[in-house]
Amino acid sequence: MLADHSADAIWAHDLTKVYGKLTAVDHVDMEVPSGGVFGLLGPNGAGKTTIIKLLTGLTDLSDGAAVVAGYDVRKHPMQVKQRIGWVAAEVILDDDFSAIENLWLQAKLQRLPEWRPRAEQLLQYFDLTSREKDKVSTFSTGMRKKLEIALALLHQPSVIFMDEPTIGLDPGTRRMLWELITGVNREFGVTVLLTSHYIEEADALCNQIAIIDHGKFVATGSPSELKSKVRGDFIELDTTDRVTEAILGSIPGVSEVRTQGKTWVLRTTSAEEVLPRLLSHIDPKDIRRINVERPSLETVFLDLTGRKIDEDNGEVHDYRKFYATVRRARQ
Amino acid sequence: MSGETRYATITPPAEAAASPTVGQGSQFVGLYARELLRTFRNPWVLVITIVQPFMWLAFFGNSFAAVPLSELEELLHIQIQSYIQFLLPGVLATSMLTVGMFGSMSTIQDKRFGYMKRILLTPTRRATIYLAKALGSASRGLVQIPVMIAAALVFGVRFNGDPLLWAAWVLSLALLGFGFSCMFLAVTSSSTDWQTPGVISNFITMPLMFASGALFPSVNFPEWMRVISEWNPVGYTALFGRGIVVQGVAHWDYLGYVAIFAALMVIVGTLVASRYLKAE
Ligand SMILES: Nc1ncnc2c1ncn2[C@@H]1O[C@H](COP(=O)(O)OP(=O)(O)O)[C@@H](O)[C@H]1O
Ligand SMILES: [Mg+2]
Repeated sequence: MLADHSADAIWAHDLTKVYGKLTAVDHVDMEVPSGGVFGLLGPNGAGKTTIIKLLTGLTDLSDGAAVVAGYDVRKHPMQVKQRIGWVAAEVILDDDFSAIENLWLQAKLQRLPEWRPRAEQLLQYFDLTSREKDKVSTFSTGMRKKLEIALALLHQPSVIFMDEPTIGLDPGTRRMLWELITGVNREFGVTVLLTSHYIEEADALCNQIAIIDHGKFVATGSPSELKSKVRGDFIELDTTDRVTEAILGSIPGVSEVRTQGKTWVLRTTSAEEVLPRLLSHIDPKDIRRINVERPSLETVFLDLTGRKIDEDNGEVHDYRKFYATVRRARQ
Repeated sequence: MSGETRYATITPPAEAAASPTVGQGSQFVGLYARELLRTFRNPWVLVITIVQPFMWLAFFGNSFAAVPLSELEELLHIQIQSYIQFLLPGVLATSMLTVGMFGSMSTIQDKRFGYMKRILLTPTRRATIYLAKALGSASRGLVQIPVMIAAALVFGVRFNGDPLLWAAWVLSLALLGFGFSCMFLAVTSSSTDWQTPGVISNFITMPLMFASGALFPSVNFPEWMRVISEWNPVGYTALFGRGIVVQGVAHWDYLGYVAIFAALMVIVGTLVASRYLKAE
């Protein structure tokens, strides 16, 4: 399968980025066929943004090679950049300019003489026509995001990179963006590489996913392929001190007992079978919380790394906090 | 990666035939226009650029108002109508020192807001970004010239010189502003700190302003200051302008010196920036 990878939108071998002592991206191999939506799923700091920077030529490779949109990133970065679009996690526009002026500037930077019809068409598609002459600083976050995607599509790229496309957005805007991303992929025929640390997002949007942790791909495949890799369900359990690993391990159907902080994580053949036995082995008074994790991308990650994707503390879940961070960076 | 994955084909796909080098004209025009638009839409940038040299003329230029002209002429070693007439070319030359600072600040803003990444993710070379910024800030500096001349006329100064020589004077100022913008932008090309342009400006402004013939003639300087002034492009620009404005004569070798300064700065600066201009 995939013998003819000359049709690949992205191909990389041993892709590596070292920052001082930290290997942010660690000898990653990847192959993204044209036309699909490929997701890099992993926790904060896994190396997702760095991979985008390497593939788009924004930063130099420490090792390895990459071919994007038909060109070697090292040897022909300019040719790569003419064929890719990019949507930043933090929404980067010229705030002093109107929507149409931002498009004009992008057209200049992409050397497009006949940009106007395409720009109007995109504004229409993203429902921004009535605001095209307004300064971007007056736009809502959702509108800014849409304009950014329009900028990325202006020169009809073959690949578009979206770094955490819905980070910091409220649920409504997130849904709208999901639809837009799927629509853009289908209607504009552009290959999408997106990064995310939202399980549902990767699951809903991507037909291929690479799960990334500490700069390495720990698994790749379609969402259903990945889910089929984990056997059985996980049960998460918060208990009093009276419950021990030995007790939990002795329950039939529990194949593995792990701890994550103060929480027990049991790998089981099936939650339906194990739950009743669990309650007969342990005094229910000793149980504070039970949670069943069905096979999902979350359990895949849990299975492979022993952690949950969303658990890390540095995470910014709140979009107000996210934009406060962005604002601070700009001061 | 685990053994079961079928990725990792070691042979890279055949690369498409590389098209010839990507031209930079369109990108340059876009970025330069952006600089101009940003300047002229921001009233505060204009106010600062105009008010500052005007203040120089109004306050500094009038500080010898009570001194009899003959005494002043003896001190300045030149025949003049007033100190303001003497000072105008000097103040305009001096004000070109600060235009580079604004260019640096706007570059650092672009890095901080991520806009530099947006530019660098298009087929735009670092040298193109650098040159557009440098030319943009030099152009901003030129706005001061008509304003200052009008102000000097208001203060009652009358000038010598024919229009062609005046054009040469404006050219010398443009070259000086461009040279300093190139220098500033090259020095701050890897910086992302708001403070850097101010710090550098503080270091170079005083020496280059005073160790030049811009405000006072260098014949009165101590030896060490005269040494600086002999190398100082601000001084040559001031003297070139003063020759035209006060005496009606052009010292073309001074213009040549400023042109060499600008050429040197743009060559060295472009080399530095195309290596060290940071994306963020
Ligand atoms: N410019 C840099 N210098 C040093 N370390 C960096 C730099 N950029 C990223 N890193 C580090 O590399 C790792 C991966 O970062 P990143 O790719 O941004 O992760 P993600 O996008 O998955 O959250 C992190 O540990 C981060 O701190
Ligand atoms: Mg990131």
